[in-house]
Amino acid sequence: MMSKLMWLSLLLIVVLCVGQAVTGFAETTCFQCHKRADFRGKVVHQPVAEDRCSACHSPHVAHFKGLLQKSGASFCYGCHKEQAAIFAQGIVHQPVRQGQCLTCHDVHASEANGLLKGRLAESCFACHKNLPSKFKHTHKPYAKGNCRACHWPHQSGNMQLLKSKPDELCLSCHKSDTVRQVHRNFPRGVSDCLSCHNPHGSDRKAMVRNVLHKPYKKGCAECHGQGKIGTETCLRCHETIKKEVLTLHSHLLEQEGCSCTACHSPHAGDTSSLLKGSQKQICRSCHKDTFNNYQDKLYIHTEPFDCKECHAVHGSSHLAMLKDGGNKTCSRCHETQGKFTHPIGEKVIDPRSGQIVTCVSCHNPMGTDFRYNLGLSGTKDLCIQCHRTY
Amino acid sequence: MKKLPFLIIFTVAVLLFEGPIPGYTAATWQWLSSLKGQPSGQSMLMPSALYCDRTLERYYVVDAGNNRLLSFNKDGEFLNEFNANGQLQAPFDMVKDCEGHIWVIEKGRNSLTMIDLENKAVENHSLSFNGQTVFPERLEQVDDILYVLDKATGQVLALGMDLKVIRNFACRDGTGFVDFKVRNGFLWAMERDGNMVCFTMDGKPASSIVMEDVVRFPYSLEVGPSGIFYVLDRHGGEVAVFDPEGRFRYRFLTPGQARGRLYFPIELKFDPWGRLCVVEEGNGRVEIFKR
Repeated sequence: MMSKLMWLSLLLIVVLCVGQAVTGFAETTCFQCHKRADFRGKVVHQPVAEDRCSACHSPHVAHFKGLLQKSGASFCYGCHKEQAAIFAQGIVHQPVRQGQCLTCHDVHASEANGLLKGRLAESCFACHKNLPSKFKHTHKPYAKGNCRACHWPHQSGNMQLLKSKPDELCLSCHKSDTVRQVHRNFPRGVSDCLSCHNPHGSDRKAMVRNVLHKPYKKGCAECHGQGKIGTETCLRCHETIKKEVLTLHSHLLEQEGCSCTACHSPHAGDTSSLLKGSQKQICRSCHKDTFNNYQDKLYIHTEPFDCKECHAVHGSSHLAMLKDGGNKTCSRCHETQGKFTHPIGEKVIDPRSGQIVTCVSCHNPMGTDFRYNLGLSGTKDLCIQCHRTY
Repeated sequence: MKKLPFLIIFTVAVLLFEGPIPGYTAATWQWLSSLKGQPSGQSMLMPSALYCDRTLERYYVVDAGNNRLLSFNKDGEFLNEFNANGQLQAPFDMVKDCEGHIWVIEKGRNSLTMIDLENKAVENHSLSFNGQTVFPERLEQVDDILYVLDKATGQVLALGMDLKVIRNFACRDGTGFVDFKVRNGFLWAMERDGNMVCFTMDGKPASSIVMEDVVRFPYSLEVGPSGIFYVLDRHGGEVAVFDPEGRFRYRFLTPGQARGRLYFPIELKFDPWGRLCVVEEGNGRVEIFKR
């Protein structure tokens, strides 16, 4: 009788242990109220699987929602220390930069690897809404929703979070011999693929970008074979741009070859401007510091966020390559402030510098830590810069 | 108790020999004076360059937005203004040659313009190199040679007084330079990311220096007599200082509009009297700092 009792006890212990291993959960006080099912999934966050709710939550009181001990990415980086170091380098994906891990990840459990919220592409398209789900001719990895075939999700040393430089990335799948065969008349080695091809897809075969440069339509000899190609080659036809370039600040780009092709494709593009990417991507490729600064600030100029709205992208004789001076550029949208505001204009002189007072004397549209994009606190600090006797 | 004197000596020694702490604003340079346009009856508008005449002890400021050149004495007092009878179109940089001619980069007509004050003559010159138009951006003059930074290609061209290209100073990977200075018998050129390339005066690269990545938007450089680099941060509104190996040492000045602060600074230059001058496009002035 005694030996049977011992066997039964042992059996019970074994069953309980196996059960715990299978479910990944153990009975805790927490699960008396919180449904266990809500914390189950194909992939379970390690502390949850180990039944360590208190690794993140305080059972009694906390400063943060969800009885969390801390908030934001710094909490995650408490365990994911390696990632914290890596994610501070190179070009960082905006949600990562802003510490919003939960934009893409679930915290407890998920059906997707990496605790992703749903399928990878679903997470990507939730923010990248401008990208069409498919094209007439769609790149296979894109069609499969495998964004990670080309992009890193957190950070990268390359633009657009690419896994490597664009040409290297293309040639890692498209073998160079095959590519050479279909580009027989290409005068140089296979290079600058994105100059003609849209890596996601297009209406044209071989994902050639939708809009072709007029001379390219006519034939290569329109530009090639007439001596060295440089900025002047483009300016021969684009005379209005030449006027914009002959200003105090231009985007002639201190580089060998043609300055224009730093931003524009000479062959094909997705829009009539033949830009090599979106406006923001193009600007960001050189002005990383401006974008990083912009993203880090509490108060930013949100709508519309298109650099071209305010800046003359080819050249300007105004400060910061603005389209007009510091007043006209702003008052095109901020009409009321253009008519009724703190005195501005040619008759109002900034005592700090002796310059004309403009909107940007007080505001910084590229982002600040003060309301209304003010350079300093508008309650006092900013005003006493000039009004010292008050 | 015996330990106390040692502790005091140790503390004093540390305080004396410790260099500026990286990242801290070092009070090495103090504001001395400002060159402003107001005494001429008109504020400067987007000044873009400074030229210092050691012999005449004068400063010349290119007041780009007002299409004129202003002169000041060594003490910063306004002397005169000159606009070549209204002929200047978006002047951007200038030097004076040994014969007293003024050479001005005019962006408005893409010209390297020679002004002969004595004969009241103005000559516009379009430059080309290797069949391509040159877009002059920066200008230096040493021993009858004009050094011009071509904005389109980012290379520095050495021109004889007949404006023929004698040699060029080009970046190996073709990325180009944003500024250059001829100092200590070498030509120092700064790439867009702030890294430096040193050339011998015959155009051969002598060394490249990878600078610590601490400057937001490197725009202009200066090289001290001991090889210390000063880099002007246009967006950060400050000057970063590096040792000859490119290690960041300290930064000074802060962004803003008040005296001694920087708003869209555009050029950094040592004057012949060892003072550091910062041309400020945004604040329409030249700030002069002394040690």
